[in-house]
Amino acid sequence: MTSVTLPPVAWHAIEAFIVLNVLLGLVAYVTLLERKFAARMQSRIGPYYVGRPHGWLQPIADALKLMMKEDIVPTTSDRAVYNLAPIVFLVPCLLIFATIPFAPALGVADLNIGVLFFLAVSSLEIVGLFMGGWGSNNKYALLSAMRAVNQIISYDLPFIFAALVPVVLAGSMQMSAIVTAQHGLWFVAYPVIGQLAFVAFLVATLAAENRVPFDILEAESELVAGFRVEYSGMKFALIQLAEYAHMLGTSFLGALLFLGGWLGPGPAALGPFWLLLKAMVIFLLVTWVRWSFVRIRVDQILAISWKLLMPATLLLLLATGLVVATRGAGGG
Amino acid sequence: MTLETVGFWVVAVVLLASSLAVVLTPNLFHAVLYLAAALVATGAIFLLLEQPFLFAVQLLLYAGGVVTIVVFAIMLTERLVGERIRQTSRHLINGAIVAAAVFAGIAGFLLQAPLATPRPGPAPDATVAIGRALVGPFAVTLELLAVLLVTALLGALYFARGEE
Repeated sequence: MTSVTLPPVAWHAIEAFIVLNVLLGLVAYVTLLERKFAARMQSRIGPYYVGRPHGWLQPIADALKLMMKEDIVPTTSDRAVYNLAPIVFLVPCLLIFATIPFAPALGVADLNIGVLFFLAVSSLEIVGLFMGGWGSNNKYALLSAMRAVNQIISYDLPFIFAALVPVVLAGSMQMSAIVTAQHGLWFVAYPVIGQLAFVAFLVATLAAENRVPFDILEAESELVAGFRVEYSGMKFALIQLAEYAHMLGTSFLGALLFLGGWLGPGPAALGPFWLLLKAMVIFLLVTWVRWSFVRIRVDQILAISWKLLMPATLLLLLATGLVVATRGAGGG
Repeated sequence: MTLETVGFWVVAVVLLASSLAVVLTPNLFHAVLYLAAALVATGAIFLLLEQPFLFAVQLLLYAGGVVTIVVFAIMLTERLVGERIRQTSRHLINGAIVAAAVFAGIAGFLLQAPLATPRPGPAPDATVAIGRALVGPFAVTLELLAVLLVTALLGALYFARGEE
């Protein structure tokens, strides 16, 4: 194939570098997509003037602006923790893409514990979040971090249970094996179990990403902007980047687990395109909910998780186990 | 030195430094952050042993779960007490002596029993083996652990319940 002889480690590094950069570009443009979508829902136009006619250059302009802004460190902050927090927050959000295959054998690493790796790494995100909340030494930031910890403890388990339903149906934690198992039938179309799991996955996703109606931790009217209230300039940009990267990663996960991943009509080379399209469908579903609903109270959030979502997903997982035990694994 | 050896030493240094920092830093919140670093480094050791499943579980349960709960506890108590709680480590020298003695004991034991034959590598996919062991020979242990956790949960509920 190629005359260049590099050690395999170097190839992996190059591959990871390319994936990372494509993703960062994608994340930037996902923000534009969300803004345009939200504008449409509210009968506005959205970004327009930077890169006419539809604001194509807006993400780049935003990034440049944030880079040139003053970097403010509050005098009473815990400096080291405050400065490290955006990085600790960002790293897990980018690491989750390590196990996401974009087509058969096209991805950084198709681990045989892919789904578990995704869940484990994204659970680390909370460390960066409360570092930011605590390090700022601001009562709003601290309150927000406490709410975040509260919410993430509550919604981690339903999220994991919902994501485990396709794992049990496919009989594997490997992303590519889960997609292959959906050749006959996408898991979202699996009778009853598929739809319920998909809805639970979406709700838990909304909560895990702290989106409206679950965004009490950055409730503008009471907490200003939550744990990131003291951040400015590039550090603020890193936090935003991490949030959108996490959202994009979860959309990819949903597309792989429920919507058949890269399966679709046409030649196999179209695989990444189908995957991206499905991930964007999930992203827009989440965005649609975000811009349609109102924020709910903290006790309602906890009640939904512990009294409804948790028992429901647990029962669903048990039911899936029963179905697989009687009918055998696979999407047929 | 292979890349793996380099990786091991890097992880080992991080693990030791962050573990020491957990007990030596006076700031309780910093101690939790060092604990998180130490737990992630432990996970990295599992990764070096080619056990990605244990790595993921270590991250999910300890770094993601336990650390979160500890932070929650600190934030709540500091709000209740209304002041920063300092960590005070007494008997530092005695503790260091005990730790050194334990290290010498383990190291001596390991050096006395050199590995004569290279051990067979770990199973390529330990996940299945772990799963089978948990519902097979260790099923009773697993259920007992579940009972223990439920007991702890009920106890916590009892203490948290207000006066009625």
